[in-house]
Amino acid sequence: MTEKNTQNVEITAVEEVYAKRKKIYPRQVTGLFASLRFSGVLSLLGLYYLGPLMQWNGRQAILFDLPARKFYIFEWIFWPQDFIYLAALLIIAAIALFLVTALAGRVWCGYACPQTVWTEAFLWIERKVEGSRAKQIKLDKKGWSWGKFRIKFTKHFIWITFSLLTGFVFVGWFTPITELTARTLSFELGPWEAFWIFFYGFATYGNAGWMREQVCMYMCPYARFQSAMFDKNTLVISYDEERGEPRGPRKKGSDYQTDGKGACVDCSLCVQVCPTGIDIRDGLQYQCIGCAACVDVCNEVMDKMGYQRNLVSYTTENALHGKKESFFRPRVLIYIILLSVISVALFTSIAQRVPLGLDVIRDRSSLYRETDDGMIENVYTLKIMNMDLKPHRYSLAVGGIDGLILKKQNKGIHVDSGAVLNYPVRIQAEADKLNAASTELMFYLNAIDDDALSVAKEGRFLGPVYK
Amino acid sequence: MSEDNKVPTVQRFVAILWPSFVVSGIATILFFTAFDPIEIIGCVGGWDVSRMGYYSIGFFLFWLLTSLNSVLTCYFLKPCAIK
Ligand code: SF4
Ligand code: SF4
Repeated sequence: MTEKNTQNVEITAVEEVYAKRKKIYPRQVTGLFASLRFSGVLSLLGLYYLGPLMQWNGRQAILFDLPARKFYIFEWIFWPQDFIYLAALLIIAAIALFLVTALAGRVWCGYACPQTVWTEAFLWIERKVEGSRAKQIKLDKKGWSWGKFRIKFTKHFIWITFSLLTGFVFVGWFTPITELTARTLSFELGPWEAFWIFFYGFATYGNAGWMREQVCMYMCPYARFQSAMFDKNTLVISYDEERGEPRGPRKKGSDYQTDGKGACVDCSLCVQVCPTGIDIRDGLQYQCIGCAACVDVCNEVMDKMGYQRNLVSYTTENALHGKKESFFRPRVLIYIILLSVISVALFTSIAQRVPLGLDVIRDRSSLYRETDDGMIENVYTLKIMNMDLKPHRYSLAVGGIDGLILKKQNKGIHVDSGAVLNYPVRIQAEADKLNAASTELMFYLNAIDDDALSVAKEGRFLGPVYK
Repeated sequence: MSEDNKVPTVQRFVAILWPSFVVSGIATILFFTAFDPIEIIGCVGGWDVSRMGYYSIGFFLFWLLTSLNSVLTCYFLKPCAIK
């Protein structure tokens, strides 16, 4: 980290070339927050790329099997009927995001947002191929030559390969990845799988390679309403104006305070490292993703100058103005209460979930039939869903009307794990037991091998009206 | 017109394609959670497409509709020329 002052001149020059959208060349940073972000990015990327490879009881541990309409999450299988759980999970995630934002500002953006994570990965590749920020700026200013072409080609080639891998893994979360790999290697990918691999790959390449901070600025709704979630006790990145101003260069070894200067040496490093190209010294701006790169770099400068750290720091508005800070404020408490209530409700209801589903569908072709011996007969199709991890045998019973006869009594209905069985049944009732044209009846399904597995479902029994 | 030009072109495209993309994603999830395309097609008859295919086609149809909506919104946002 030397020779920085010369680079100021270079950015201004490049800024003029890119009059519309200034290309931003974030300078590499080191420091506490940079390492935090690096470990965050690495673990999230690891989770994303290796997640589908995890196995559980001989199948993919986490698989959102869209083609089969089933979600596997370790021990559990979720069906479209369980949509409510997904909705609850999304609500929990949203409230958690609000809570974190109210407490610590945009930590999500700075450390965990996929846009940040993949942009970091792409920046890393860019730095490996094109070199430091200064080299990148120089290369972009140079005219086209074979050497430049080779460097750019290499970069895009690696980017695109990486993006396609990303697209492939994306589809691997939704369709079993081992089979997907086999099909890819033998060029037998389904058209839609191939399409989504390319689509997602293209989106990755575009967003992380080209769009970058513009995604945060133009596309992210979260960035726009951040001010609604912030209050005076929220941790934000800010510049201590009182201490920093008046900014300006100074002679080494001179006492800046007696010279009437502030602590900011106006080295502009905080601007150079900023992935969204803003100057934090202008105050809180909606473009700031809270990545703390400027904190790291300014602390380095302060250390070098022998000044106190944290001229740019994570702080709250109240702390900055010497006011009292409070952690548990009403909005935080409300978020915490909501979060606990919904989470507890979600987990108890998942734990108590009966992994057995029953739907009753009346035969549409006839209302009822009178048998030779004067009974009234209705026909139904039962849809039995075994959502458990083991196959089961079930017994069926009916009730609700006196003297109902279930034809085709059996030793139990076998349904495989994760299967749906369409099971036709005929039910007869004596005509004089029916008081109306339509009477309610109940179907009871119990697993023979497990008492806890039982469901009841109502249906309608149709008959003639005599009275 | 000069007012219009202040909005960067990327932002304009994004303002149409992106919100409609998000809404169409949500609509696709809700729709296909409630209805299994294979069952619907079983009732009315259709082409031989996989579930993945129906999901994808459904998604793009929704996206087409929602982006049409966004285009109209943008169009009506322009002030009328009153002479
Ligand atoms: S890095 Fe620190 S010293 Fe340098 S310009 Fe930014 S605030 Fe001032
Ligand atoms: S101002 Fe600082 S914290 Fe905000 S985005 Fe730029 S470098 Fe990151």
